[in-house]
Amino acid sequence: MFGAGQGAVLSSCETEGGGKVVWRVFQDSVMLIAVSGGGQGGTGSSKLEEVRLRRLLENVWSCMVLVLGQDELTDVKNVERLKRDLRSCFALIDQLLEERQEGILGNLTHCADSLLPPNPTLLQEALDGFSQAAESEFGCLVVHGRVAAATEKWWRLAPQEVVLLSALMRSLSASGSASCDYPVFLPKGSPTVAHRLLRFQLLPGADVCVLCGPTPSLHRAESGLVGRFWTPLVETLRGCLAIGERCLPGSVSLRPDVLAVLLINRDARRSVSFVRTAADPQPSDPPLPSKARCWELLKLFYIFSTTRYFTQEETLSVSPEERAQRGHSEDFALGFPHQPLQCYLVTEECKSFGLQTPQHQLFLLTPLSVPTFALRALATQTLSDIVAATGF
Amino acid sequence: MAFANARTCTEKTLSRGRKEEDGGGHGTESDLESTTSSHNSSDCSDDLEPEWLDDIQKNGELFYLELSEGEEEAALAQAAANQGVSTNHVRFSEEEAEVITEENKKLTKGEPTLKRLARILRRKRRPSQRRGGGGGGKDGKDNPASSPPASILKNQPGQRSGVTVQELKEVCVYLNPKRLGGSSTTLTHSGGLLEALLGVVHRTSWSRGDTAVVGHEERLTVHGLIPNSPAIKCGQILIGDVLVAVDDVDVTSENIERVLSCIPGPTQVRLALETVAQWDGSGAGDSSLQRKTKASSPPVSQLVRLLWGEDTAELQMSIEHVPHAVMYLSLKLDSASPQEEEEILYQYPVSEASGQLKGVRGIFLTLCDMLENVTGGRILSSSLLLGKQLVHVGYWKESNNLLVIGLPAERVPLLYLQTVVGDVVRTLKVMYGSLDNAFCKVDHAPRLDHFFCLFFQQLIQPSRLRDGSSAPTPDVSGTLFLDGLPAVRWLTLPPEIKMEVDTVLSDFESSDFGEMSEDFFGLRRLYVILGSCLFYKSYLIANHLPKEDLLDVCLYCQHYCLLPLASEQRVGQLVIWREVFPRQRANGGGGGTAPGYSQPRGRHFLLIVGLRHFMQCVLLEAGGCSSAASGSPGPDCIYVDQVKATLLQLEVLEAGIEDRLNAPPAPCLSCADWFLPAATARDRLDSLASSSPVFSKLAGAVKGSSSGSRGRSLFGEKARRSSPQRSLSDSGSEGQMDAGSGSGLSMAPGLSPHSTPDSGRKLGGRRDSLGSGGSDGSGGSGGLFKNPRMKHPNPFYLGTLKKTLTERETEEMYNTMKLTSGAENTLFHYVLMETVQGIFIAPTQREVAQLSGSIHPQLIRNFHHCCLSIRAAFQQSLPARGRRAVDRPQGGGWGLGPVKEHGVLFQCKPENWTDQRKPAPTMTYWVIGRMLLEPVPQEFYVCFHDSVAEVPVEMAFRLSFGLAL
Repeated sequence: MFGAGQGAVLSSCETEGGGKVVWRVFQDSVMLIAVSGGGQGGTGSSKLEEVRLRRLLENVWSCMVLVLGQDELTDVKNVERLKRDLRSCFALIDQLLEERQEGILGNLTHCADSLLPPNPTLLQEALDGFSQAAESEFGCLVVHGRVAAATEKWWRLAPQEVVLLSALMRSLSASGSASCDYPVFLPKGSPTVAHRLLRFQLLPGADVCVLCGPTPSLHRAESGLVGRFWTPLVETLRGCLAIGERCLPGSVSLRPDVLAVLLINRDARRSVSFVRTAADPQPSDPPLPSKARCWELLKLFYIFSTTRYFTQEETLSVSPEERAQRGHSEDFALGFPHQPLQCYLVTEECKSFGLQTPQHQLFLLTPLSVPTFALRALATQTLSDIVAATGF
Repeated sequence: MAFANARTCTEKTLSRGRKEEDGGGHGTESDLESTTSSHNSSDCSDDLEPEWLDDIQKNGELFYLELSEGEEEAALAQAAANQGVSTNHVRFSEEEAEVITEENKKLTKGEPTLKRLARILRRKRRPSQRRGGGGGGKDGKDNPASSPPASILKNQPGQRSGVTVQELKEVCVYLNPKRLGGSSTTLTHSGGLLEALLGVVHRTSWSRGDTAVVGHEERLTVHGLIPNSPAIKCGQILIGDVLVAVDDVDVTSENIERVLSCIPGPTQVRLALETVAQWDGSGAGDSSLQRKTKASSPPVSQLVRLLWGEDTAELQMSIEHVPHAVMYLSLKLDSASPQEEEEILYQYPVSEASGQLKGVRGIFLTLCDMLENVTGGRILSSSLLLGKQLVHVGYWKESNNLLVIGLPAERVPLLYLQTVVGDVVRTLKVMYGSLDNAFCKVDHAPRLDHFFCLFFQQLIQPSRLRDGSSAPTPDVSGTLFLDGLPAVRWLTLPPEIKMEVDTVLSDFESSDFGEMSEDFFGLRRLYVILGSCLFYKSYLIANHLPKEDLLDVCLYCQHYCLLPLASEQRVGQLVIWREVFPRQRANGGGGGTAPGYSQPRGRHFLLIVGLRHFMQCVLLEAGGCSSAASGSPGPDCIYVDQVKATLLQLEVLEAGIEDRLNAPPAPCLSCADWFLPAATARDRLDSLASSSPVFSKLAGAVKGSSSGSRGRSLFGEKARRSSPQRSLSDSGSEGQMDAGSGSGLSMAPGLSPHSTPDSGRKLGGRRDSLGSGGSDGSGGSGGLFKNPRMKHPNPFYLGTLKKTLTERETEEMYNTMKLTSGAENTLFHYVLMETVQGIFIAPTQREVAQLSGSIHPQLIRNFHHCCLSIRAAFQQSLPARGRRAVDRPQGGGWGLGPVKEHGVLFQCKPENWTDQRKPAPTMTYWVIGRMLLEPVPQEFYVCFHDSVAEVPVEMAFRLSFGLAL
């Protein structure tokens, strides 16, 4: 911004009451500024919010590239036209801003929100066959807005792209159409060449999509392929839908005193998360936080832990300059001479525990009634239970 | 900008081993009045003048620092080692010359002409604008006032090329006129000061009967050297050399006595000597040698030199590449005015990196203006990239001005920037009343330069400041964390020592100075003593100040590094006097008064006196019920003397306090290295035994006690096996058991050094320490635990008493010693902060040093870094303090809600693990912070091994019992 002439790049600001402003210039052409008011926050909630705003800027830029392509954004010939064109990605950006759907953490974690179906192999085979028939290597089955199965190549897309495509799928399926053909640019993979995203609704809440070239046509795929591959699996899909937002098959039993879980597979860049619905609201003192509050707390705790203690994967791969450009959220974690493995936080609402292994990161919330010294055992057991049952 | 320029040419004066402060910015005319009044009152005190009298600034302030004998020797050694290092001292007052002349009236031994000479000696170093003002021609014959001003920073021999070129050498010697003592009678005959002070024997020609040499002026040839004198100690003054100049003042036999007599206090002087033969042609080599020796670490630490005001340029230069700056900007811009940079009211430092920050000051102004409108809150901080370095900028807005402090992110994490900025602002407010007061007066600029020089040096290169001392260099996080706590490091003392300290302090505070007091003469008191606090080696050992005042005082001490100074170097004498504006008293402490006008509630003065390792800070009030202070009074001799007397009185307790410091850690600590499986038990025992005999005894005692606390046989002959997770070899545990049972039998001597302070305090409590101290043998727990402390000679004494102990009491006793549960002591480190009293306790540096090891220092660094994060979490979740006027309703705080407890598990590996076959052994440990609001607000940070599931709150309570004030 105005310091550029002096060799200074302003990256963020913080004001009293938790207000935050974050700047970032993308491709030397577009500057995005995110402002968060200090409405409900107290002093110094900076860290948490700032990371969120940074992620938001990144995601918004990727959205714009996804919809319009990078060329359109970098050589702007007609600003008015660009403004008009940008309207097409407003829906997607709104979705990012509002975080309407509960339980979607991918925007923040850049790990694809996943759903672990009870019988994954059936779905995987069907999806592989379907993608092949659609002349594509990129196919994905989305249930409840979460990835239930995807082809191998799909997972090779940049994590950010996977997350964005899931977001796009959600917004497309929210429109209610049974199928659509949508041109997309991949922000990392092909920011200048568009691909076609074919999306078909299999059941309400279950969508399948493929990324493909000029062929096949939407009509051919819809009429010829969808029925062939997916009709036999309707029951399986229903089973998937039935596990709902728990995201885990019923075979995984969790201890009753786990309020919420976020489990990240660090290699695969996938995450599973759920918040326990209070089945029997027994009068507990103090009352358990509501479901929405649990999601919020889970996010906040994730940000808290990752900015201070656990390094995120991508921060290790990028250069220091870029890291600094993205924000300084990481430098505190780098200041530890010894490696943090686990952390916990006891607040007035609940207890939170986070742990990190070479393979996984686990964040969970428990009620206050759980003794603090038992948190660690609870967390390790939860982790091993889920991993053993699903191989996640 | 005018003042900034003036500052760059640092004013230097003749060094006298001290540095003055000014500031405060009040009336300037009453210096004479106040000093004379103080002089009046000190008339009865033997007419001996305090050494610091000359250093009082025009506005009454004083900063006098004199190292003790031992340190002077070190300085001497340094002077010998690097002969070129000059000791120029910044003198901040422009009006120094006038002060001197005023003082003439009351100086008994100083004749006016000599004083004038001294003035010229001082002025000579200043390339001052006031050169034309004073001086005077009649001094010309003594002093080559017409010669170009000497270079301050470099002392090339060639500088005095007019006299000789090649054969000139410079020697720095440390002189202390006060050592002359009673020998002044012998001064007059023969050698005079030249012999007495410097130790150079010079035979004047007429005394040798050589009347052929006409004239009084004669070159000062060294004819002999007096043993043990500074001249011979430095080893570079040779017989046959000719002394030509002292601190750039040409000397002859005519004026040498006068020149030397103008040296007012202990100082380092630079002698220029003409030498013969062996120095021929070595001029160039000499200077290069100089430079080389200069690079080696000087024994007088940089900190002292910085406090004296030396060397700021060099220190500043070494951090020039690190972007850092402080600016005080005006938000009210007169756009019509053509002047450039007029919005900069103050700026420091003037370097390249800060220039870059200065260049973008528009950003700060704009952000401050704009963001308040956008987000509805004042700007707190922003981050920007300068080149490749990330800089955090903290803001503080006061009225229409904005204080901006930029610090490199690698030094100060954003999490802690607020605290750092807040502390600076508070310190400035304590010193000057308000930021506007501090920054908007031009004559404060040099003082602020010094202030911020210290500030940045401490933050950016703390190690450099300590390089002369033996103390381990503090880690940045640790300094940040401990200094940022709103508390002072406290040292628990055995109750009877504590009681005596308190009694002595109370005696002083009663202002009953007998015939020295104003009451004696029926006068109104000059000052009311509001309270005082006492430090010993940077630990607070007694405090009679309200918390906020204590914090104010402590912030000042911290900023000027007085605490580490007193702990590392024996301070010969430290006298600080200045007007202060304590936060609590300055704004609305009285209440009920209209905001615009307040009745003269009195002014406050801070008097700090340090003697050796003791330092006492006294807060005085003038006005109120004492006589109102007018103008800017200087320190009153009576009060200073009384504080000194108090400190001297306390010195008898030094041994007791040292005992406490030398005692093994009261809650036992373990060294991290012992827990690495690689270290065998034998190593541990060895390291224990080698660290100190007391300590090894302690280790044995701990073993015994831990077994006792398990509820088995109390002084069990069979010690319980140590817990399995440490995988000790059998022989190792046998050894430990032996030690344990061995000391179990001889428990009394083993326990006495360490168990008494805390257990005694815990059980006996503080209040009854007076009463029950004498009632030994009562069998009650209070009496019992005091017995060893009273050094009962009979070793079986405790043994007979132990039968009366109930199991529970014993357990309590052991629990105070060992915070952790389980058989092993797993505690590595702890910090407990008591918010109400504003103090914290942590293991003393010596305790930490005893636990030497390779991992342990690293662990402590990690601990402190983690504490920064934990404390930040606590702070964020607390309701916003009354730091700024506007408080927002606290709904949900920072999202996560109020944090009670926060812990992080760390894993560490030994460094340089070379064994390829096996993976490096690892050790995991917790760092846990806990904030307690009940019964008293406390924050507790602890670091312990992973093996036992601890309940930190229990530990906190156990520890806090040891912290009765």
